[in-house]
Amino acid sequence: MADAAAHGHDHHDERGFFTRWFMSTNHKDIGILYLFTSGFVGFIAVAFTVYMRLELKDPGVQYMCQEGIRLISDGVCAPNGHVWNVIVTAHGILMMFFVVIPALFGGFGNYFMPLHIGAPDMAFPRMNNLSFWLYVSGASLAILSVVVPGGNGQLGSGVGWVLYPPLSTSEQGFSMDLAIFAVHLSGASSILGAINMITTFLNMRAPGMTLFKVPLFAWSIFVTAWLILLALPVLAGAITMLLTDRNFGTTFFQPEGGGDPILYQHILWFFGHPEVYIIVLPGFGIISHVIATFSKKPIFGYLPMVWALIAIGGLGFVVWAHHMYTVGMSLSQQTYFMLATMVIAVPTGVKIFSWIATMWGGSIEFKTPMLWAFGFLFLFTLGGVTGIVLSQAAIDRAYHDTYYVVAHFHYVMSLGAVFAIFAGTYFWIGKMSGRQYPERLGQIHFWMMFIGSNLTFFPQHFLGRQGMPRRYIDYPDGFALWNEVSTWGAFLSFASFLLFIYIVFYTIRSGKPVTENNYWNEHADTLEWTLPSPPPEHTFETLPKREDWDRSHAH
Amino acid sequence: MPYRWTEAPDEKILTLWPHQSMTPEGFVWFIGATAVMLTMPLLAVLGSAVTWVLLAFFLAAIWGVWRAIMVNRRHRSLHEVLTFGRESLHLSHVPHDGPHLDWQANPYWVTVKLRRDGPVENYLTLSGSGREVELGAFLTPDERLALYDELNRLIRAE
Repeated sequence: MADAAAHGHDHHDERGFFTRWFMSTNHKDIGILYLFTSGFVGFIAVAFTVYMRLELKDPGVQYMCQEGIRLISDGVCAPNGHVWNVIVTAHGILMMFFVVIPALFGGFGNYFMPLHIGAPDMAFPRMNNLSFWLYVSGASLAILSVVVPGGNGQLGSGVGWVLYPPLSTSEQGFSMDLAIFAVHLSGASSILGAINMITTFLNMRAPGMTLFKVPLFAWSIFVTAWLILLALPVLAGAITMLLTDRNFGTTFFQPEGGGDPILYQHILWFFGHPEVYIIVLPGFGIISHVIATFSKKPIFGYLPMVWALIAIGGLGFVVWAHHMYTVGMSLSQQTYFMLATMVIAVPTGVKIFSWIATMWGGSIEFKTPMLWAFGFLFLFTLGGVTGIVLSQAAIDRAYHDTYYVVAHFHYVMSLGAVFAIFAGTYFWIGKMSGRQYPERLGQIHFWMMFIGSNLTFFPQHFLGRQGMPRRYIDYPDGFALWNEVSTWGAFLSFASFLLFIYIVFYTIRSGKPVTENNYWNEHADTLEWTLPSPPPEHTFETLPKREDWDRSHAH
Repeated sequence: MPYRWTEAPDEKILTLWPHQSMTPEGFVWFIGATAVMLTMPLLAVLGSAVTWVLLAFFLAAIWGVWRAIMVNRRHRSLHEVLTFGRESLHLSHVPHDGPHLDWQANPYWVTVKLRRDGPVENYLTLSGSGREVELGAFLTPDERLALYDELNRLIRAE
């Protein structure tokens, strides 16, 4: 029999550095590991873009030369398109698989989803550790694939992150195989993580917390996990077939053996479109909490917000071919995909208007997280509007593969999702580290990034409208002006990223210690705010009290 | 309420179990919806060899999430059974694996306590036969409070 234990339990954290960070099974520690690792990989991926923008700053090729890549031009340079292709590909693969999802879903999801639902940990803590290390292995392989022998007798493979055959199946060297393995590992890591999150969310909510009482961030993580579970197996299947086509002579996507390369595009985008929602949905959750907190009002229209998340997730699965209007589909197919795509604007609009309605009549406080949330709202809406433009099959004929598309998806993903990451970081860094960030520097970081990223991507709409195609190392003189502007914007954004790195380490080392549990206000009302900052190693081993999380009558 | 009283001719039985937020119906809905969504890409590639490769991955995904939820339910299937007989009070603590833990005492001498110094709020214990044992440590504090009243009433009535 379980004999009565008369003493309360006061745990001391007795784990050494290695045990805590390398063998961790604690959801909060794994969340922090995800955040730092994705920040590191993000730095590499951002460095790649800055190098690309440097090359595009002026017409002609100055830095990516046959004679070797360089940072300072010496006048003699034979263009090396392979290097350009490799860097574009690496930027895409790293950002899509190894930066944004691990930060939002792996990092904030792991740390805060169990806290929001009052669970002591994830359902499978050791599987959680496995997910993290699979992600690290995958990211290492992806970075390695840039510097091992690949196509054109050079290093790395330059086939684009979508890995379309026959380009990907005929690329020489083993760089391509490493890239495919990297995506495999990332997929395995994400699916295991998703299964873990789904089980935790479904079966480990605190008593009384029915599905429609769950905080919006936890909901967004659950919908994301579900999308991962449905979409990632498609990708895993697709790239497995690529691998066998490459190495074992199968012909799934090779016309000479009866296969169909267009079929690969269909299944790639069947994964790829949900993927963009996987990237941005957790951001929606974070923004909801930030806006409610700093407007000092409960979120407007909780129930429509949840259904909008579910609807966006569901619709995300039936619109994939709008990425491929130009491959030769029938008119009715194009009509369907066009209409279905436009329907997504409805649930997205519900969310945008609910956020605005939350702020309406609220007492808005412009702390750094709220600035980022504002930035998110503005940029994501702008990217959404160009999305509606691109969804028109007829108009897409003109815009396909131009910089207009580049501007569109960077507005929704690079700016939307990344602004959400920064909003979450400033919102929760005091909770996670026990020290508060310097407010003024945070605001400077926001304005630098906001101006820098708009300067980078807004002119790309003009370039797209002028007809500048994407994925090229060089361009005619006519496009010079806006490319120059765009590059200066990229430099400013990069500088803001360096400032962010400084802010994070400054906060951790010598930020002002946080003493209250809830250092914002009573509208930050989810369960993590009832815990000390930083939370102890073990949280909610005894069930949380209902009045700690159920605010339906409080405000 | 994750505890339940049942009556037999000579005894009353109290069963307690930890809260699981997913109902069996919820499980059916979730797996059903997942399976339906997964058939969507299959329809798109029907008739090519690609179908079979994707199908294998889909089955693996469904199997994985099905099994994960089931394992989690089993891990949380711990329960406690308290049997009130005329002459004896018997408590059995059934963990999800490993042997049962049992305790027996004469109900006449048993005292029910609600302790403040326990590891959880409203820590509920039974003492008798020279031991003090815990009851329902996995319930919510309010549930233990309610249970304390019900147990006291029953034991006094004996």
